[in-house]
Amino acid sequence: MLDRRIKVREIRDLGGGNHLLTMNSPEQARLVQPGQFMMLKCAAGLNDNPLLRRPFSVFDVDRTPGAGRPRGLVLLIKEVGAGSRMLAALKPGQAIDVLGPQGRPFEIAPATQGLVSAACLVAGGVGIAALYLLAQRLLQNGVAPVLFYGGRTAADLVLREYFERLGLETHYTTEDASVGEAGLVTSPLERFLRSRIRAGVRAYACGPWAMMKAAHDLAVRYNVPCEVSLEARMGCSLGACMGCVIRAFGDDGEEQYLRVCLDGPIMDSRRVDWDTPPV
Amino acid sequence: MVQKQVKKQADPSPRLEVDIGAVRLRNPVMTASGTFAYGVEFAHLMDLDAIGGIVVKGISMKPIKGNPPPRIWETSSGMLNAIGWQNIGAVEFVTAKLPALRKYRTNIVVNIVGFELDDYLEVARFLNDCPGIAALELNISCPNVKKGGFHFNKDPRDAHAVTAQTKKVCTRLPLWVKLSPNVTDICEFARACEEAGADALSVINTLVGMAIDVERRRPRLKYVTGGLSGPAIKPVALRMVWQACRAVKIPVIGVGGIATTEDALEFLIAGARAIQVGTANFYNPAASQRIAAGLADYCRTRGIGDINDIIGSLRT
Repeated sequence: MLDRRIKVREIRDLGGGNHLLTMNSPEQARLVQPGQFMMLKCAAGLNDNPLLRRPFSVFDVDRTPGAGRPRGLVLLIKEVGAGSRMLAALKPGQAIDVLGPQGRPFEIAPATQGLVSAACLVAGGVGIAALYLLAQRLLQNGVAPVLFYGGRTAADLVLREYFERLGLETHYTTEDASVGEAGLVTSPLERFLRSRIRAGVRAYACGPWAMMKAAHDLAVRYNVPCEVSLEARMGCSLGACMGCVIRAFGDDGEEQYLRVCLDGPIMDSRRVDWDTPPV
Repeated sequence: MVQKQVKKQADPSPRLEVDIGAVRLRNPVMTASGTFAYGVEFAHLMDLDAIGGIVVKGISMKPIKGNPPPRIWETSSGMLNAIGWQNIGAVEFVTAKLPALRKYRTNIVVNIVGFELDDYLEVARFLNDCPGIAALELNISCPNVKKGGFHFNKDPRDAHAVTAQTKKVCTRLPLWVKLSPNVTDICEFARACEEAGADALSVINTLVGMAIDVERRRPRLKYVTGGLSGPAIKPVALRMVWQACRAVKIPVIGVGGIATTEDALEFLIAGARAIQVGTANFYNPAASQRIAAGLADYCRTRGIGDINDIIGSLRT
């Protein structure tokens, strides 16, 4: 984890209040593991408001053309409050303080041993941000990821062309039926889990609490291991403020408060107490 | 010969050491309890030996689970928290955290928490025998725990009692007491703790505050109220430090919204012998090191040979 003042290379408006922000930072880019996040200081100065940095999943690692060396971080920013609005207003060449990469990454080790035959990537809205690096890594390991991507409307399903370019099987859902099938993302996920051989299938989910809870329930029902990418209001990302906790079950099965920043953001869905949403 | 000349021309390094009773700090900058974990978590982001001391997260004898989330909420120039003393417990601290922390040359101060008088005594007695600790900081000022018996920050007599009793079991370690700002007269509490044998006072802890989500008409924190910290509380902290310094003879450590060198200087000029950086650690993990360097620069550029010369130098 490094604390660096880094410059914006590019910022692209994706519509619907979503922006794709590319920052120059070879050092940090080299360290990123799928599922990890960065803490962005949204204001120009360290002591400017808002004070606390905001966590964002690393969507992709920007690479040099040709040699393919890591040179930057690609982050998906959705405007939801004062901090993210400041990030959305950044211009190329401007610099902000960025700390990371941080947090527990997805567990992909079993794949290298040939234990995983298929991976269900389950995304709700900007939850997609945690899954693109993972999709690339799984493909490198010879695992075929299948994308289940849902949102309220077409504009919520940002960056899906990235996954299509990787050649993934995709299932889209929108609540208004503007793209894909009408309804929730868990419908095609359940059909998939019901219809295929589930040995060696794993699920990875990132999105709203209710979506991840539904994905977890299906994973349990069909006996598929499931990891989720958790979100919480975060103070420091360093394990110091103890602010970003969720209720979870420890190794001994006892209930406890685990920090999303250090014990997560990626967590086995079976550890999470899904009946106690953090907000 | 040439080297000698260079040495003569360069400004001498100002003396930054300060004494908090028997504890000598390399410089007056420490990190505040609850904002710096157990110290080692920040070791890759700054030089822990560049500051005068680390006050670690509040420790109780047995682990505490803490309050349900949401626990934090950012406000204008500050934040509310209601963590509820979540900590790993004294035994785990001493076996898993202290050995790594002890390797640094900085002072390790352990903040201790408890619900009842006996809780404080038990953990103080245990830590008193542990090598590698410079002092204990008695936390009788946390606003985020519902207590059964004592209300140590409601009545100066209770503050006196818990300080005197804890001091008795601290046979080896100095005892600092961290005061609450949620009182009418900070001087009463400062004097009560001094009389009870406190070696120093940390002034202040967080101010009780609240925030509401108007759409859901629910409090932003599950605990409803929380402790306000950050630059928003600095003027209040500074005022209380100034008052406390005039009320007692023991050293006062300034805490509350310190984020820059200038903030730290204000507290020192008001009379604080040292300062603690708190919430700033969250968004600027190397803040304390930067402030320590800033104090050296301030002294050097103004020809101040010893930082003690500015402590309590306020002209009114």
